Amino acid sequence: MVTQTAPQGSSQGAQGPAEPSARQVAGRRWRSARGVVAALLAMVVVAVILAALRPSTSPDALDPTSPKPDGSRALVEILRQHGTQVTVARHANDAVNQARPDTVIVVTRTERLTNEDLVLLSNVQANLLLVQPTSFALADLAPRVREDYPGPVEADAPGCSLQAATLAGAVTLHEAMTYEVTGPGTECYGTKYGGARLVQVQNGANTVTVLGSRGPLTNRRLTEQGNAALSMNLAAGSGSSVVWLIPDLPKTGSGAGQKSLGDLLPFGTKLFFLELIVAVLLVALWRARRLGPVVAEALPVVVRSAETVEGRARLYRAGHARDRASDALRSGARERLVPLLGLPRGRAQDPSAAQEIVTAVARRTPYDEPYVGAALYGPPPVDDAGLIALSDVLDDLERQVRQS
Amino acid sequence: MALTGRLGLLALLGAIVPLFAPEWWALFAVWGALLLGVLADLALAGNVRALRFHRAGDKNVRLGESAQVSLIVENLGRRRLKARLRDVWPPSAGATPRMVRVDVPAGERRRVEMTLTPTRRGDRKAVTVVVRSVGPLGLAARQLSRAAPWTVRALPAFPSRRHLPAKLARLRELTGAHVTLIRGRGTEFDSLREYVDGDDVRSIDWRATARRNDIVVRTWRPERDRRIYLVLDTGRTSAGRVGDIPRLDCSMDAALLLGALASRAGDRVDLLAYDRRVRTRVEGASRTDLLPAMVHAMAPLEPELIECDAAGMVSTLMARVRQRCLVVLLTELNAAALEEGLLPLLPQLTARHLVMIAAVSDPRVGEMAAGRGDLASVYDAAAAERARAERRHLTAELRGHGVEVVDAPPDEIAPALADAYLALKAAGRL
Repeated sequence: MVTQTAPQGSSQGAQGPAEPSARQVAGRRWRSARGVVAALLAMVVVAVILAALRPSTSPDALDPTSPKPDGSRALVEILRQHGTQVTVARHANDAVNQARPDTVIVVTRTERLTNEDLVLLSNVQANLLLVQPTSFALADLAPRVREDYPGPVEADAPGCSLQAATLAGAVTLHEAMTYEVTGPGTECYGTKYGGARLVQVQNGANTVTVLGSRGPLTNRRLTEQGNAALSMNLAAGSGSSVVWLIPDLPKTGSGAGQKSLGDLLPFGTKLFFLELIVAVLLVALWRARRLGPVVAEALPVVVRSAETVEGRARLYRAGHARDRASDALRSGARERLVPLLGLPRGRAQDPSAAQEIVTAVARRTPYDEPYVGAALYGPPPVDDAGLIALSDVLDDLERQVRQS
Repeated sequence: MALTGRLGLLALLGAIVPLFAPEWWALFAVWGALLLGVLADLALAGNVRALRFHRAGDKNVRLGESAQVSLIVENLGRRRLKARLRDVWPPSAGATPRMVRVDVPAGERRRVEMTLTPTRRGDRKAVTVVVRSVGPLGLAARQLSRAAPWTVRALPAFPSRRHLPAKLARLRELTGAHVTLIRGRGTEFDSLREYVDGDDVRSIDWRATARRNDIVVRTWRPERDRRIYLVLDTGRTSAGRVGDIPRLDCSMDAALLLGALASRAGDRVDLLAYDRRVRTRVEGASRTDLLPAMVHAMAPLEPELIECDAAGMVSTLMARVRQRCLVVLLTELNAAALEEGLLPLLPQLTARHLVMIAAVSDPRVGEMAAGRGDLASVYDAAAAERARAERRHLTAELRGHGVEVVDAPPDEIAPALADAYLALKAAGRL
């Protein structure tokens, strides 16, 4: 009486309410979840596109010793051939120590500079050339220059009075950032939307030049248009020595690295998450309280009446019990044939009445006695095909007798 | 007490506050406001404790039909109550609607109509009544669950009652109570009447004719006031499903038709349901309340997954019935169960009573026997032929003991059993 089987449905297939197939269930789940899946896919696609659009930087970009396309070895070599002393500094300290008032410090890869480095550089008595600086570096080293937006790729006339630019003429400035200067300063290579890709301001006694593109300094683009001239003029135009600062990655554990995520989060955000947790708890409490209990019920057992017969059929098949199967089929056929032949029912299973039945059947069918005898009393079939053939022969005999 | 989704939503909106005022007091203010709202709702919500529940309506319903049960909600409190109410019934009671909104002014009553369409036979008890009354702000609710007992009994459907008029017509033919005044057949002397053309000359009573100047014939009628004992086997074999109906339900249907017919024919009908003990019993019911008594006795019966104790059944029968009667045993022709249980005891039973065994055969076996074509179907057919042969053998053996056997598929068992009874009655063998 106490089982977990459903009372209806599963037993006879066609009867009772139809149970949904696995395909229908899967379809229903897909329909309910496709919105979420589509949203997740869209997020992934957007993330991939954003990552692809971001300009990638290789580890040795603008490295004065690198011969790779985005290295700057060519420029440095040319400078040295022209008699300019080029020192490579891997740390801001070195750069500051080696700088003299007429030195140009080429500051590259400013994203690697720490706050202390920026303070050092802002106090140095030397000219600075900032190559595509970060906004932090720009704020510390050239406070009057404001970052604008990425400018279009075009190579045009400098349009300013800066000697380095006018000598170089048109240049190619790829992926260039544009800048605006507040107060006195020189703006070159302006775009038609405003903003300039090369600006120069006076910061006290020092000249600070900001170049919005790495392109002119790299091995790959050095030969394009006036790039080489512009780079050399900017780097070595006024002074006799150049300090090429390409900072290494700051060591971990120095400065901001020691702060945990919790320290960096504003207090209000923490409270926001706390309140979110409270809201989730309240929603859980709301859903958890049912309007009344779940009612359990003892269900009746479902046993199909024909289950034992089906089980026996499978056992016959598994054991290749052709002898028993053919025996059952033959005795069933005889049981139906005997009343049709006008013989007493008891004869059907009586071996001594075999000849009588065979003769009677042969008389009412076009088949001869040996054929009928083999069908009704013959040896068991030797293979499965024989068993199927026997069942058809028995059916045929029965039909013929019935129609005669 | 219960919270609402609105409270969760407000708490979610409140998460914005600390972003603008990143201080603890801002968060505490949000929580305080929510708490105040909840408390106000709990205080102002309708008082669910002051409710009283009463019930009225149907107590019985035939399986497949619908019963109406009213739940009367009485508000003894001083405030109006607006609430959601759920009358909880077991799933197989088929209770609708699942949830209703009630609005009961103070001191008044409201009636909630429930429609029950049970999907299975038996007693269905109301579990509980749950009321949830949400406060005016919609942030919190008072909830109460209280029992309101009621039982609806789903009676057997008795689908074979459509056969009853035809069987009663045949019965009237037998008893001679037919409008065409055909002389009844039977063995029991009824009365004498004048000879009319067409009467069988063998029924002329010469002694009575000699006393009068007319030719007088005897009339006969079938026996009356015989006893019929219906025995339902509720053991494991009755649990097997034929089609989608347990064999027990088919047996019940057949027993009800036979009971209705036999009580009209003037016989006394008793019912016994047995597996290892007496499950239910109807004895000595008068003709008018036999059918209701049988239906009520059968309603809670369920097949038990145990082997039927044939010896116990026979001894119970022998102890209860001294006079000769027709014992109708509704069971399954299962070789293993019958040969070990009932067959050895049959002589004991047939010595005193006339025994009839009614069994529901499974049409699926017939379908399997007709299967041809591939190997699996042929093996199925062989197994089905084997099962049929066993059944034939068992039937022959039972008939050898003088037992009447009725073996029919589920939709024919009830009329077949009624016909077998009428044949016995016509033959005067009761």
